[in-house]
Amino acid sequence: MFQRLQTKLTVLYAGLFALALSLVAVTVYVAIASNAQRTVRQELAASGTVFDRVWALRTQRLQDGADLLSRDFGFRAAIATHDRPTVESAIANLRQRLGLDLAFTVGVDGDVTGVDPARLDLEKLWGALDAEDGAQGVFAIDGQPYQLISAPILSPTLTGWIVFAARLDEPEMQALEKLSAIGLDAQVFDLRGGKWISADHGPANPALTAFVGQAMHDKVSEPRMLRGGADSLVLVKPIKALDKASGAALVLRYPMAQAMAPYRPLMGAVVIVGLIGAALVAAASWALSRGISKPIVALDEAAQRLQRGEEVIVEVTTRDEIGRLAQSFNLMAGEIREREAEMTRQALHDGETGLPNRRALERTIEGRLTGIGANQQVVVTAVGFDRFPQVRAAIGYELATELVAKLGQRIMDIAPGAMVGRLTTSILCVISDNDDLDAVLAIIDSVLPQLEAPILLGGEPVDVHITHGLAAASVGELDAARLIERALIALDQARAAHKKIMAFDAEAYGDPAANLSLMSEMLEAVRSGALYLNHQPKLDLRTGAISGVEALVRWNHPTRGFVRPDLFVGMAEETGHIRALTDYVLAQAIEDQAQLRAAGHDVLMSVNVSGRLIDDADFARHALAKVKAAGARLCFEITETAVIGNPDVALGVLERFADAGIAVSIDDYGSGLSSLAYLKQIRADELKIDKAFVMTLESGGKDALLVKSTIDLAHSLGMKVTAEGVETREGLAALQLMGCDLAQGYFVAKPLGLDKLVAFLGEWSIDLPAEAPARKLA
Amino acid sequence: MKRIVLLPMVALWGGHALAGDFTTTVRGTDGKPVPDAVVMVYPNGQPTKGPIKFPWAYRVAQQNIQFSPFVLVVPVGADVSFPNLDKVRHHVYSFSAGNKFEIKLYGREENRTAKMNAAGVAAIGCNIHDQMVGFIRVVDTAYAGKTDANGVVTIQDVPAGAVVAKVWHPYLRGMKNEKTLTTTSLPAGAAREAVSIELRAPAPH
Repeated sequence: MFQRLQTKLTVLYAGLFALALSLVAVTVYVAIASNAQRTVRQELAASGTVFDRVWALRTQRLQDGADLLSRDFGFRAAIATHDRPTVESAIANLRQRLGLDLAFTVGVDGDVTGVDPARLDLEKLWGALDAEDGAQGVFAIDGQPYQLISAPILSPTLTGWIVFAARLDEPEMQALEKLSAIGLDAQVFDLRGGKWISADHGPANPALTAFVGQAMHDKVSEPRMLRGGADSLVLVKPIKALDKASGAALVLRYPMAQAMAPYRPLMGAVVIVGLIGAALVAAASWALSRGISKPIVALDEAAQRLQRGEEVIVEVTTRDEIGRLAQSFNLMAGEIREREAEMTRQALHDGETGLPNRRALERTIEGRLTGIGANQQVVVTAVGFDRFPQVRAAIGYELATELVAKLGQRIMDIAPGAMVGRLTTSILCVISDNDDLDAVLAIIDSVLPQLEAPILLGGEPVDVHITHGLAAASVGELDAARLIERALIALDQARAAHKKIMAFDAEAYGDPAANLSLMSEMLEAVRSGALYLNHQPKLDLRTGAISGVEALVRWNHPTRGFVRPDLFVGMAEETGHIRALTDYVLAQAIEDQAQLRAAGHDVLMSVNVSGRLIDDADFARHALAKVKAAGARLCFEITETAVIGNPDVALGVLERFADAGIAVSIDDYGSGLSSLAYLKQIRADELKIDKAFVMTLESGGKDALLVKSTIDLAHSLGMKVTAEGVETREGLAALQLMGCDLAQGYFVAKPLGLDKLVAFLGEWSIDLPAEAPARKLA
Repeated sequence: MKRIVLLPMVALWGGHALAGDFTTTVRGTDGKPVPDAVVMVYPNGQPTKGPIKFPWAYRVAQQNIQFSPFVLVVPVGADVSFPNLDKVRHHVYSFSAGNKFEIKLYGREENRTAKMNAAGVAAIGCNIHDQMVGFIRVVDTAYAGKTDANGVVTIQDVPAGAVVAKVWHPYLRGMKNEKTLTTTSLPAGAAREAVSIELRAPAPH
C-alpha cells in the first residue's frame, strides 16, 4: 500500500494516536452526555415532584374554598330557594377572593348558575360530578383545559355542586417552569376525541404529540428521550381528568442540546487539543521515521547503484544498527569490487605468464575494430614457438613457461604500442598499433634478429625459434575470434611453407567448411560412379615391358569439375573416410585388372593404401578376402610415414599381405622422415623413390648420389626399386644405369583410362637407352 | 263529626267484599330488606279526598344528634312536632319546596311544630349538625305506610279495583326517588308484592 517506509511509519503512528484520541473524545462525550442526561432526568423528576406538590396545594386551596362555600347556610338557602342573584353574587365574591378563573354551581337538576351553560359540555360534567363525590380533575371548557374542583351542596340532601375552575394555560405553565432549576418547557396535553392536544397556542409538534400518546398508553413514569430533530428528555405526568373518558397529562420537556450546551466549550477544547495532538504526532513521527528511513533509503539507492556496477560508498552517520549496516555495506561493496577486479583479471589474463589471455585479446580487437577508420586495419600476429614441446621437454615446464613470458616481454619492449597476449601454450598474439599489414610485415622482418636472440633463463641462454602468422581485418569484415583464427592459420601456413613470416593466404586456405561437405559428396560419388580409376603404367627397365600399372583415383565432380586427388584423398584420410574410398579403389582395380587380363594384358596392379588403414585389421581381412576371391595380382603401395600409427599391428598386417601373395611397396620414399628402422622391419617387395629426387636427377649432384645409394640399399634389402616422376629419356637412362628396376612417369605414360590403357599396352614398344647393367646384380 | 261518621263506613266497606290488605316487601338490589321505604297506593290513581289521618304520631324527635324517625309519613296539612331530646341545641330546617320551615335554636323539651303544606318531601337537616338528616314524606293518600326493619309494610283496607302503587325512599335512584309498583289492581282480600329498588349512597356529611 505504501511504497515508502517513512509514509508507512507516519501513517501508523498518526493513525494510532488519532484512534486513541477519538476513543478519548468519544468516551468524554458519552460521559458528558450521560451525565447531562442524568442531571436532566433528576431535574425532570424533581420538577415532576414539585408539580405534584404545587398541584396538590392548589387543589387543596380550591377544595377548601369550595367546601367552605358549599357549607354556608345562607348560600345553601339561596341555592335551595333558587335565589339566583344571591347565588351569583356569592360565587363572584368567592371567585374574587380566591383569584379563580371560573366558579359556578350545577344543580342536581342540571341547572347551572354562574357561567354560561353553552360553554360547558353539561352532560359530561353532570355525569362526572354525579359519579363521584367531590369530583375533581382536568376538564375542557371552551376547548381549553381547566382544573376543576367540585364540592356537593347538601341542604341537607344533595341539591347540586359548587365547581371552581382554574385555567391550565401558558401563564400557568410558565409559573411552573419558573419553579424549576433548569429551563423546562411545561405543557398540558388533554385527550380530545381520541387525540392528545396541547393547551399551548404554539405550533403543533406531531412528534411530541405522538410521544405523549405513547407514553400515556404505556403508563411510563420515567423521563424518556424523544429522538428526532433536536433530542429532548420528556417526562409525561398523567393528571387526573374529571371524567374517566378524558385524559390529561403534564408534559415536561427539556432539550438535550440545552443540557449539553454548558459542555460544548469542553468538547470543543477536547477536539482542538486532539487535532493539535494528532498534527504534532504526525509531524513528530514524520521526522522520526525520516531519521530512520533516510539511511535505509540511502542504502537502498547504494545497493541499486552497486547492482549497476557503480562504485558506491554509503556515508555512515549514526552508530546504531543502521550505521553498522551501512558500515557492513561499505565493506561488502569494497570486497565485491576487489573480487570483481580479481575475477576480471583472472578472466582476462593467463595464469601462468600473467599475459592477457585470448578473451582479453578478443576484447581489445573488438575495441580496435570499432575505433578504426574505413581504410584502416587491425593487424594481428600469431607468434608461435617452433618445436615447443621439444624445448619444454628439454628445459622443463616451468622454464618453458618463463620463456614464453620473456618473449612476450621482449615483444612489448620492441613494440611498446602493441598488445601482447598468450593464445595457446606456445603461441603468443600481438595486436599491432600499426594499421597496415604490409608495414607490420616489414617491421617484423626487420626486428626478427632481435626477437630470435637467445633468452637468458636462470643465467643460461636458450635459443628462440619463432614463426609469425599475420592476419588483418578492416571494419565490419571479421570479428575478433575470426581474426585470431586467421592469424593462427597463417602461422600454420608459414610453418607448412617453412617460412618465418607469412600473412594469411585465403586462397591457399580454401574453404575448409566446403571441404567437409566434399566428403559426403565423395561418398555419394563412390555410389554414383563419379569416381573412376586412371592407371599409370610402370616400365620394367630390364625387359622394356610394361609390367604393372598404378591405379590412381579420379573424381569428376558434377558441379566443381575435376577435383584434385591430393585434396579429396588427403581429406578422406583426415576425416576417416579413407576406408570407403580405398574399398572402392580396391574393388575397381580388381575389376579393371580382370578386364586387362581379358584384353590379354597381365600386369601387376598397384593400389595406394593409406597408412591409416594398415593397422585396421578389419580392412585387412576384407582386402585379403577380396583379393583371394578375385585371384587378383596386387601391390599395396603404402606411404612409409603413414606406417607409424601402431607399428606392431601394422607390421603384422603387412606380414599377412605378404603371406597372401600381395606385394607391398613403400611409397614416396625419401620425402618424409624416412626411417631406416622401418626399412629393416617392413617386409616390402618394392621401394618407390619420391619424384622430387627423380625429376632433378639429370642435373647430377647430390640427388643422383642419393638415388643411386637408395637403389643399392633397396636391392641389398631384397626390394625392387621404382622411380617416380620420370619425365625425360635422360632421366630414364640414368636410372637404368643406376640399376633401377622400374620407371614411372610422363616419359613412359600419363595415367590413362582403362580403354586408353588397353590401347597403349597393345601398341607399347620401347628402345631402352642402355643395356641393363644391373643384371649382374640381379 | 263528619269524619267520625264516615270512617266506620269506609271500614265497613273495606272489611267486607270490596276491600283488602296490600302487603309490600321492599328489598335492595343486594337482597337486603330496605326499611323506611314508603309505599303509597292510589285507588283508581286518585288522591284521597278529604282529611287523612294516620295512626302514628306526627313527630320527629332529635335524639343522640339524629332525627328519629329517619322517615316520617304524614298527610298534607299535618302539624309535625320536633321535640328535642338532646342536651344540645338544634337548628332544624327544610328548604324543600312547599314545606320550607326553619326552627331555630330551641333547647331540651321544647316542643315546636311545623305545618306540612304540600304533598311531597321535606328533607330536614340541622344547621349545627351536618350529619343530621331526616325526611318527612307528605302524602295525599290515605293508603300509605313505611317498611319496618324487615322491609315489609302492610296497607290495610285498600279498596279492590284499579290502583296506582308507588314506593319512595330518600336514596332511591329514580325520578323524585320514586318507583311505580307493578300492581295495578287489587282483589278483594289480601294482595302481595315484592319490589326491589336501587339505592344511592347517602351524601356524606
